Amino acid sequence: MRNKFDEQLSRLNHEMIEMGALCEEVIARASRALTENDKGLAASIAPLDSEIDQKERDIENLCLKLLLQQQPVARDLRQISAALKMITDMERIGDQAEDIAEIIGFLRGHQSEDNDLLREMARATIRMVTESVDAYVKCDTILAEQVIAADDAVDDYFTQVKERLIGRIAQDPAVGEYALDLLMIAKYFERIGDHATNIAEWVIFSVTGVHKGEEK
Amino acid sequence: MTKKIFRSILTAGVTVLICSVLLVMGCFYSFFETMQERQLGDELSIAAAAVELDGTVYLEKVKSDRFRVTLIAADGTVLYDTRTDAASMENHLEREEVREAIESGSGISSRYSATLLQKTIYSALRLGDGTVLRISASRATMGALLLGALQPILLVVLLMLGLSGVLASRLSKRIVEPLNALDLEHPLENDAYEELSPLLRRIDRQRRQIDAQLAELRQKTDEFTQITAGMNEGLVLLDDKGVVLSINPAAQMLFGVTGACVGQDFLTVDRERSMSLALRMAMTDGHSEVRAERSGREYQFDLSRIESDGKVVGAVLLAFDMTAQAFAESRRREFTANVSHELKTPLQGIIGSAELLENGMVKSEDIPRFVGHIRAEAQRLVTLIGDIIRLSELDEGGELPAETVELLPLAQEAAENLRTAAEQKNVRITVSGESVSMVGVRRLLYEVIYNLCDNAIKYNVDGGRVELRVAAEGENARLTVRDTGIGIPSEHQGRVFERFYRVDKSHSKESGGTGLGLSIVKHAAAYHHGTVTLKSEVGRGTEITVRLPRGIQEP
Repeated sequence: MRNKFDEQLSRLNHEMIEMGALCEEVIARASRALTENDKGLAASIAPLDSEIDQKERDIENLCLKLLLQQQPVARDLRQISAALKMITDMERIGDQAEDIAEIIGFLRGHQSEDNDLLREMARATIRMVTESVDAYVKCDTILAEQVIAADDAVDDYFTQVKERLIGRIAQDPAVGEYALDLLMIAKYFERIGDHATNIAEWVIFSVTGVHKGEEK
Repeated sequence: MTKKIFRSILTAGVTVLICSVLLVMGCFYSFFETMQERQLGDELSIAAAAVELDGTVYLEKVKSDRFRVTLIAADGTVLYDTRTDAASMENHLEREEVREAIESGSGISSRYSATLLQKTIYSALRLGDGTVLRISASRATMGALLLGALQPILLVVLLMLGLSGVLASRLSKRIVEPLNALDLEHPLENDAYEELSPLLRRIDRQRRQIDAQLAELRQKTDEFTQITAGMNEGLVLLDDKGVVLSINPAAQMLFGVTGACVGQDFLTVDRERSMSLALRMAMTDGHSEVRAERSGREYQFDLSRIESDGKVVGAVLLAFDMTAQAFAESRRREFTANVSHELKTPLQGIIGSAELLENGMVKSEDIPRFVGHIRAEAQRLVTLIGDIIRLSELDEGGELPAETVELLPLAQEAAENLRTAAEQKNVRITVSGESVSMVGVRRLLYEVIYNLCDNAIKYNVDGGRVELRVAAEGENARLTVRDTGIGIPSEHQGRVFERFYRVDKSHSKESGGTGLGLSIVKHAAAYHHGTVTLKSEVGRGTEITVRLPRGIQEP
């Protein structure tokens, strides 16, 4: 009985890492599609997103089965409930990457210096996602804390992008639509950062049993 | 064990108890029975004598609880009974003892009471007048006796239970304690009871066997670890579920993990999608390859399934560092593209001019110019192909005839051959230095000097100067070519020795170079185990120094 439980738990772990890797891939592709303005790459994101959705359902099923059949306690219970929460965030990351890809389709090959800042922002966000998955893989709470701290930097980037775009519209109202598209992309990256923060918080919960949100 | 011992002791005890109780009962019971019968007979004869004398009067005097005396007429009618009213009693003729007494003078019989707990013994005697006197006494049966003895027996059983428990636990402790205290590392040195020695000998044999096998196994693991540790390629062994069984240092460095990942899912080592897909493919199809970048270098990962008896037992992952090869490949691609481009340019000029001539579009007085153009382009092509051939010769690395070469006359010869070209560009070329001789390939050394001077002239300014100096420098010969030309920007200085590399990206024809000159210089110097150094400043000029080992001792 216990053996089967362990086996299912390690399968859950396996699936979680795979889903995390999918998220990393999807956001990396979105960012590359943005900087290289590669429509083909942007189009390749949608199938990956549906794969992420499928993974979410699989993991959800597995978690519920584990909860019902094995009635886990203590650390195992925390791991499973944290996994249930994390997949929601991961799934949202996938959706937002797909949204970014969709907007890239509307950009019509505009290139400007705003992209540099956006690229920096994308890089910071990708790092957050990668490190949050790393923190899960290694059960590393210190790394998870770093991810949570890094969210402020991404938020700053968003403010900077916003201010720069306001300036651009003031100079030339004709770029309004383009600027708004870029703002949307920046917002999505910012949201992805928030989801990575959530994942990191759940990693801390699953290791220590204390959720960041309830400490205060 | 204690339970088993307890049970056997108890069984033995109970069996002995039951046997002895039965035996004792049997013996005593029959003894008492005979005694009682004899007593009864005695009493009967006394009573009979008395009855013959006094008749029933005597009987009425008998007052006893233990005895019951009955007088029965010859026809079976009860005449008197000490306990019951004789009239109410039935005819006793059919009673066994009565009948016996009537027939043979005396009779005896016994009957159990309804409860079986009592037994009544009847003894009868025929008197002189034909009546029968019967006396009876009751006594407890065996069952009743046993019932009476039940309490003490139970007490004994309880005692037995307690005793067996104590004995059993003590015995098992005595058996087990030495077993627990056995030193299994040195089985033969134990001081246990002798029944254990066959076991100890067997343990000893087995232990030696295990030691030998362990040593062998360890040696094999050591060999494996040493071999894999020395490998440049990354090697990871996985089981059928993708758990890392072994990972060598090269692979640990490549994936940025430590040996602690052994026993963990391979996903914790590397979770990139292309890798997971490749692993899945290897597990299903038997083999897969993936090329990916890890920690800044490019790797080729070969994944193969491992099977044993038709069952998948795991996978092996081999990682080859392809960085150098990838670089070389890109260089080769660039070179091929360059060669094709360089070869095509003059040919297009030739074809263009030839077409114009063919269609008669050229005025007759212009024909020599066009033909001259065709010739010049063809010449350029020949030069280019010559350069490529020389380079590929140097690439082949074959041995060329070496001889003692005087460098100064060689330099003068090269300068002389370039004089016309120099004059066209209004560049003055001077050769100075001492007489230096070295062992080398004359043709290659000439190429070095010629190409350096040629470049110095080509990329010079109007009215510029080229200084060619030859000097001995210890074991080396030093060739220096300095010009007052346009110079090479510092960001290009590292690459000018590459084939077809040009500072001026437009590949302009006006300088007339092939882009291979410095490459030939570098290769020719390398062939002689020499070095080439470059010093240059934009707008001020370039100085290239070639140092070549002379390969001969000064006399």
